[in-house]
Amino acid sequence: MDLENTKAQMRKGILEYCILSVLSKNSCYASDIIRELKEAKVIVVEGTLYPLLTRQKNAGLLSYRWEESQQGPPRKYYELTAEGINYLKDLDKSWGELVESVKLIRSK
Amino acid sequence: MDKTVKINLGGSLFQIDEDAYRILRDYLQAIDTRLRNVAGAAETLEDIELRIAEIFLSQKITAGIISRENVEAMMSIIGKPEDFETDEDETVPPPFSREGQRLYRNPDDSIIGGVCGGIGAFLNTDPVWFRILFIVTALFFGIGFFVYLGLWIALPSAPAGTSRRDMYGRKRSSSSGYVPSRNTQGTYAGSNIGNAFNEVFRALGRVFFIIVRVFLVIIGVSFVMTGFLAMVTFVMVFFFRYPGYFSTEAFGLNFFYLPDFLSYIVSPAVAPWIIVLLSLAIILPLLALIYWGVRMIFWFRARDGVIGLICLVLWVISIAALSLILFNEGVSFAETSKTSSVEIIEDAPQKLYIVCDNSIDELRFDKDISVPDENYRLYFRDDDKNLYVNTQFSISTSNDSSLRIEIRKRSAGRSKSDARKKTETLIYNYTISGDSILIDEYFTIPEDSKWSCDNVGVILQIPTGTIVQFDTVSENMFRPNFYFNRDFDSKTIYSSGKTWIMTDEGLKRSAN
Repeated sequence: MDLENTKAQMRKGILEYCILSVLSKNSCYASDIIRELKEAKVIVVEGTLYPLLTRQKNAGLLSYRWEESQQGPPRKYYELTAEGINYLKDLDKSWGELVESVKLIRSK
Repeated sequence: MDKTVKINLGGSLFQIDEDAYRILRDYLQAIDTRLRNVAGAAETLEDIELRIAEIFLSQKITAGIISRENVEAMMSIIGKPEDFETDEDETVPPPFSREGQRLYRNPDDSIIGGVCGGIGAFLNTDPVWFRILFIVTALFFGIGFFVYLGLWIALPSAPAGTSRRDMYGRKRSSSSGYVPSRNTQGTYAGSNIGNAFNEVFRALGRVFFIIVRVFLVIIGVSFVMTGFLAMVTFVMVFFFRYPGYFSTEAFGLNFFYLPDFLSYIVSPAVAPWIIVLLSLAIILPLLALIYWGVRMIFWFRARDGVIGLICLVLWVISIAALSLILFNEGVSFAETSKTSSVEIIEDAPQKLYIVCDNSIDELRFDKDISVPDENYRLYFRDDDKNLYVNTQFSISTSNDSSLRIEIRKRSAGRSKSDARKKTETLIYNYTISGDSILIDEYFTIPEDSKWSCDNVGVILQIPTGTIVQFDTVSENMFRPNFYFNRDFDSKTIYSSGKTWIMTDEGLKRSAN
């Protein structure tokens, strides 16, 4: 078994949940999301984020608006849609269940 | 001094060291390849380009030229493509794939359906050659035309993003001008002659396309109308027994009583099955016709393969089952048997009255079916389940002085004995009272007994010299015999109540 690979798989599983959680607080520019995720050590490189954002946006969970930046190109500010908020609620619930499940198994 | 390259990245212009440019280009291509099977790849790549531009703008750049160090710093932030943790890596390679390319119709380069454009992109060749090929082969029995039509239907149109990139192969960049070789690397290099041809084809193609569309709409409308009318007819006739304004007498058979008739000619258990299977066998193709018509009119693509297949299988099964049932039922008509009974009246009356006792008119039947090419008619009544059939009559000269009445019955069955048994169930009534013979115009197949080509014939043999009189109905019953009478006279036939005399040569008009 490859430990790094297993860890990566685990991160992958929760990454989408983390992105939605970050966005649930306020609308964010991709860099803000990356900063938070990096702090929480769920993400290694920035490149991971972009395909996920595109996918979540195409799935209708996110929407974005362009905002001019003082320096550089305009930025995409992402925010949760109503659908995204509901989706996140479901994920919150199932995350709670997962944590409980792991706890239960480890306590035995 | 090193050479520099100008690039456009996410809407911003940069000057970049040639060395650094090469690294950047390879890096973007690696990301492009990495995202090959990820949905929304083009958009993701644009986002990443924007981010790269932003990183460059925030970096310390010496003399306005992006150096190798700048690019490497950017790469460490974004990360190596192989470290991107997307969970869509295990996508199965699609069909028609060749080294990461897929065969699609190309909406970017289409004249009719983009088939040639797609093939051109797939083989990295100018599509004009395929256009010429299709037109040339279309001249040979329209081969090219049909192959084109087939490909048009079979090939999906390349959607934006992943597929379109797949169409050109993984080498093609997604957007922006940072790869100067894009035009030669990705898509074909168009020649001047090719362009001229393409313009001509494009114009011809539009005209052709409109003609084909109009043609298809006309066919589609006629399909839908035909299918719809046929279905309405079928349903009305078969399930509501509504003859409407159209003739139901096809080939002399009123087919709209078929469902009623069916319960008399087949075993009662299979009659509903025959109706259901027959309905399927007729309605399924009509539905298909309507569906195809609608598709031709509105020209949409649908995932109907499975449903179509199910319908086809269902149709084949119902046809097969129907044939099997009908064959099995047909076997019950395999053998025929005849029985005959003769009553001989030795002291025959000098004057004989032939009277119809029970006529078909008095039967008050509700439906009737005539069997083609025969003087054979079946009558149904709603009050009872009996089946009434007209009887055949003939009259001839007796070879002695006695009067004979012969009743011949014929039936079909699975075996001779079956058929013989059946004849015994047929009911035919006649009475002789004094100098009168009272005969029925029809015989009866009783309830619970199905029709099996039953036939009853009445043969009267009358001695020479007997005076014969008919009534109106009985004269009609024997009328077919008059046609064979040698002194046939049209005037005499239609005068009822006349007196006839039996001679050696058959019935003749009596003098008085």
